[in-house]
Amino acid sequence: MRNWFNRGIPWIWLNAGAVAVSLVLVLGLFGHVVFTGLQHFWPKDIIAFDYAEPGQDPVSVMGEVDRSEVLSVRAAERRGFEVDESGDLITRHRIKRGNRDITDRDFTWYVQENMSEWEYPEDAVRLERRQWGDFYGYLREVRVDGEVVAEGDAAWERFDSLFADNVPRIEEIGRIERVEIGNVNAEIEELRLAQRRLRANETLSEQERQERAEALQEERNRWEDEYDELVERRNELLEEIGRYDAVFETVEGHRKTMPLGDIVKPSRPNAMSTAEKAVFYVGEFWDFVSGYPREANTEGGILPAIFGTVFMTLVMAVFVTPFGVLAAIYMREYAKQGPLIRMIRISVNNLAGVPSIVFGVFGLGFFVYFMGGGIDQLFYSERLPSPTFGKGGVLWASLTLALLTLPVVIVSTEEGLARIPGSIRQGALALGATKGEMLWRTVVPLATPAMITGLILAVARAAGEVAPLMLVGVVKLAPALPVDGNFPFLHLDRSFMHLGFHIYDVGFQSPNVEAGRPLVYATALILVMVIIVLNLTAIMIRNHLRERFRAESD
Amino acid sequence: MTDDSIDENFFKQHISHQFNEELEEIHSRVLAMGGLVEQQLTDAVTAMVNGDKELAQTVVTSDYKVNSMEVELDEECTHVLVRRQPTASDLRLVMAVVKTITDLERIGDEAERIGRMALHLLDDDRAVAPMKEMGAFGNHVRDMLRGSLDAVARMDAEAAVRVAQQDIQADSQYEALLQRLMDQMMKTPDSIPRVMDIVWSARSMERIGDRARNICEYVVYFVRGKDVRHTSFDEMAREATGDRG
Amino acid sequence: MSDTETRDTATHAVSSNRGRNGGQRQLNIRDEDICVEIDQLKLWYGDDQALKGIDLQIPRNRVTAFIGPSGCGKSTLLRCMNRMNDLIDNCRIEGAIRIDGQDIHDRSVDIPELRRRVGMVFQKPNPFPKSIYENVAYGLRLQGVKKRRILDEVVEKSLRQAALWDEVKDRLSENAFGLSGGQQQRLVIARAVAIEPEVLLLDEPASALDPLATLKIEELIFELKKHYTIAIVTHNMQQAARVSDYTAYLYLGELMEFNDTDTLFTNPSKKATEDYITGRHG
Repeated sequence: MRNWFNRGIPWIWLNAGAVAVSLVLVLGLFGHVVFTGLQHFWPKDIIAFDYAEPGQDPVSVMGEVDRSEVLSVRAAERRGFEVDESGDLITRHRIKRGNRDITDRDFTWYVQENMSEWEYPEDAVRLERRQWGDFYGYLREVRVDGEVVAEGDAAWERFDSLFADNVPRIEEIGRIERVEIGNVNAEIEELRLAQRRLRANETLSEQERQERAEALQEERNRWEDEYDELVERRNELLEEIGRYDAVFETVEGHRKTMPLGDIVKPSRPNAMSTAEKAVFYVGEFWDFVSGYPREANTEGGILPAIFGTVFMTLVMAVFVTPFGVLAAIYMREYAKQGPLIRMIRISVNNLAGVPSIVFGVFGLGFFVYFMGGGIDQLFYSERLPSPTFGKGGVLWASLTLALLTLPVVIVSTEEGLARIPGSIRQGALALGATKGEMLWRTVVPLATPAMITGLILAVARAAGEVAPLMLVGVVKLAPALPVDGNFPFLHLDRSFMHLGFHIYDVGFQSPNVEAGRPLVYATALILVMVIIVLNLTAIMIRNHLRERFRAESD
Repeated sequence: MTDDSIDENFFKQHISHQFNEELEEIHSRVLAMGGLVEQQLTDAVTAMVNGDKELAQTVVTSDYKVNSMEVELDEECTHVLVRRQPTASDLRLVMAVVKTITDLERIGDEAERIGRMALHLLDDDRAVAPMKEMGAFGNHVRDMLRGSLDAVARMDAEAAVRVAQQDIQADSQYEALLQRLMDQMMKTPDSIPRVMDIVWSARSMERIGDRARNICEYVVYFVRGKDVRHTSFDEMAREATGDRG
Repeated sequence: MSDTETRDTATHAVSSNRGRNGGQRQLNIRDEDICVEIDQLKLWYGDDQALKGIDLQIPRNRVTAFIGPSGCGKSTLLRCMNRMNDLIDNCRIEGAIRIDGQDIHDRSVDIPELRRRVGMVFQKPNPFPKSIYENVAYGLRLQGVKKRRILDEVVEKSLRQAALWDEVKDRLSENAFGLSGGQQQRLVIARAVAIEPEVLLLDEPASALDPLATLKIEELIFELKKHYTIAIVTHNMQQAARVSDYTAYLYLGELMEFNDTDTLFTNPSKKATEDYITGRHG
């Protein structure tokens, strides 16, 4: 035993144990997120059963099993279930019934003992709708211009083909609303501001002003005509879509007529084979990643949030890298290593420990109100009182996060510079290089892997940061992406959506928390993956550079 | 090395004890070889003068010892050169030793030749030959040899110069001896073949004197670092005392 | 002494004082063209005096070796000649170093320019983590040379001078770290030679190399002295004896002895030198 101790074996166990615990934690967390997040998109079978509490008439229920749990009888009674008291334990299921517009609650608990046998009706339909969440029921009729064109068994086929015909129309409407009308609006807004500027401009003569005003008005009229055209086209499409209706019947027997345009995605999971389910699954996932959010973020996709996160992180990287690298080079290479520089170094290191919300407050006060307000006063006075830069936006969020991650970049760049051997520096100097040439031609390129390491850490931290962003530019729902086709293409003044905030919003702020929960996990998964992708990219660049500068790692 | 001449501590100062021992070993074996050669020379001269054939025989048969000692020392010097790459005084010591043993070996050869001549000589030849002078000459060169070996032993450049200067007397003695022998040959031409043997012996002794002088020069080279071969005695003396003039 | 050819072509280089040296040709500092002149050089690191008044003349197109125990100031002295000591914060220098008569501590001296004239090679091979070609071209690029043709020419010439061309000509674009230690050191010499300095300072250039690579470097030094004045610091006395024409022995910041190499290694004039080179207790 003593020998066992002396050989240091307990230490090995202790150390390996620590690693194992960390590994379990990381893998467990990640696994949970992946499992819960990905599971959400798998089309679940729709079940139907009759539910009768003792002494009451049975009701028909249809929906998906959301969750099941086992309770003791007393706990069940406390929760208000009428159950037979003979057993100790009961099983209850939470069923997602959907149909929020017809019934009041779309999630309901049912005790298994009171259920009839579960059925899986082949023709049960699940509809993802633009409003009111999911619908579960049976397709009864398909109507065009109010005339029934198909019913019964043939209805689904017809419905499917009509729905497929409608998809391009809906997409066109989306394009018109999101892009084309947006462009026209941007032009009109520009002209409106030009008119305002013209009115405020006192250097012009009356006649000149008149002429210019007319020219502007003419142009504005042209754009407004275009706007009207677009609206007309959209209305035509809407009208076309509006011709098609489908009549559905819920399991309780309610009939519901729905315009095809309100349906996002119809499916009949019980009729699908596994392969079809897989295809459907991929499609769902893709829609989630590439779609825009609907219904207070609880439905639809998270593209704007992904885009906002990545974009904000990249802009942050663009700010923090040069700034941090230059600061580190000065501190390590030029500054005299004295008490002052040591103080600065300590301060920088401590900056990394400041709670991030403090940075948010600083960003709000300094960047948004002070700098943004100043910029508005100077350059965008014609838009006042509505702020341009004087409100939260990508620029200020990026700058705030750049400030937050600056210490990381500075510290790792300094480390990298310190690791460049003196022999390389002396070699350069001995060849007649000035200090600047020595630094920029030889030392700094060699330190790039370290700088990128700093950047990796910075990106990882920034992409996951939420608290300060809530103060400086993240919003629940952004009307437009910060990048679009209108000059100047990058709109750094715009608010943006962020995956981290999206998680918070969907998980805790939405009106329908239950429906949102799987989305929270899915979004978290995407966030983790975005960070992983960003980091992997940076790591690949770094390894590539390391390969080139094999020197100092040897 | 003007400020401190080489003394008995020479073999004690190296950081490497092994090196000290190797150099000391070489040095003492040179002296041993010198002693053997000196003995050979003494015996040869005695055998020549006294007509001691037995002794002469011993001299002739003992030369192989000198030769084998030379070979061994040569090898040892090579080892030191290879392993130690000696510099400065160490290098000079080894170089001096290498040269000294060559000369000693030659002196051994000359002693053997004298011994051989002593065997050839008949008693009646001996009677007519100037054996007294020959003995004196032989003793002189033997003293030179002994002196040079002393200089080697004590690493004393000034003593070496003094010994080297005796070569002048040796040369004049040789001249006188040669004159006597030539007279002899002219008087009795039929004794010429025998007298020639004595001439050869005298010549060997003269050579021994030269070689003893060489050894002295090596001592000066070793101690002072100056190559004094082919220079005048005055210059040699100047170098040996460290006086750069 | 096999380089009779070079000896003979250099002006004043040879004093053929036959006679008491038995026909041996001997170098004499009085006959040399002096390139670097060090005059009462004193140097302090903070309060420690590292050099205590060195007077020394380094002759042109000769190899001058500096030997001495560790910490004797030989590397410091070498680094004074291209002012690499300027990089050390609390280093103070008195006295003068004149290269071709010009004091290198003069205000008008541009330090990078000085270092271009006085190249340096360090103990450990320190190629830059770039291609072989770029390593050699580094100095030229610093000077703003951009023409590919000129660069190509100089790179080839320098690599040839460093006796490395045949070994690397097919892989000029490969990373210099793929070369062996000896090749790296020759590459570094080629890099130094590419900007055609007058003086080449070698700070223990072979101490990190194996014997064969060392021999190659020594052979190279032998060739290079036709064009450059070379000062070499070495811990290896045999090496100093092999490559140098003149040798200086430093001890505790003082120049103990300076003489032509043959004399210094066969018959040093100072007991201290003798003790050091023969490995005796001082």
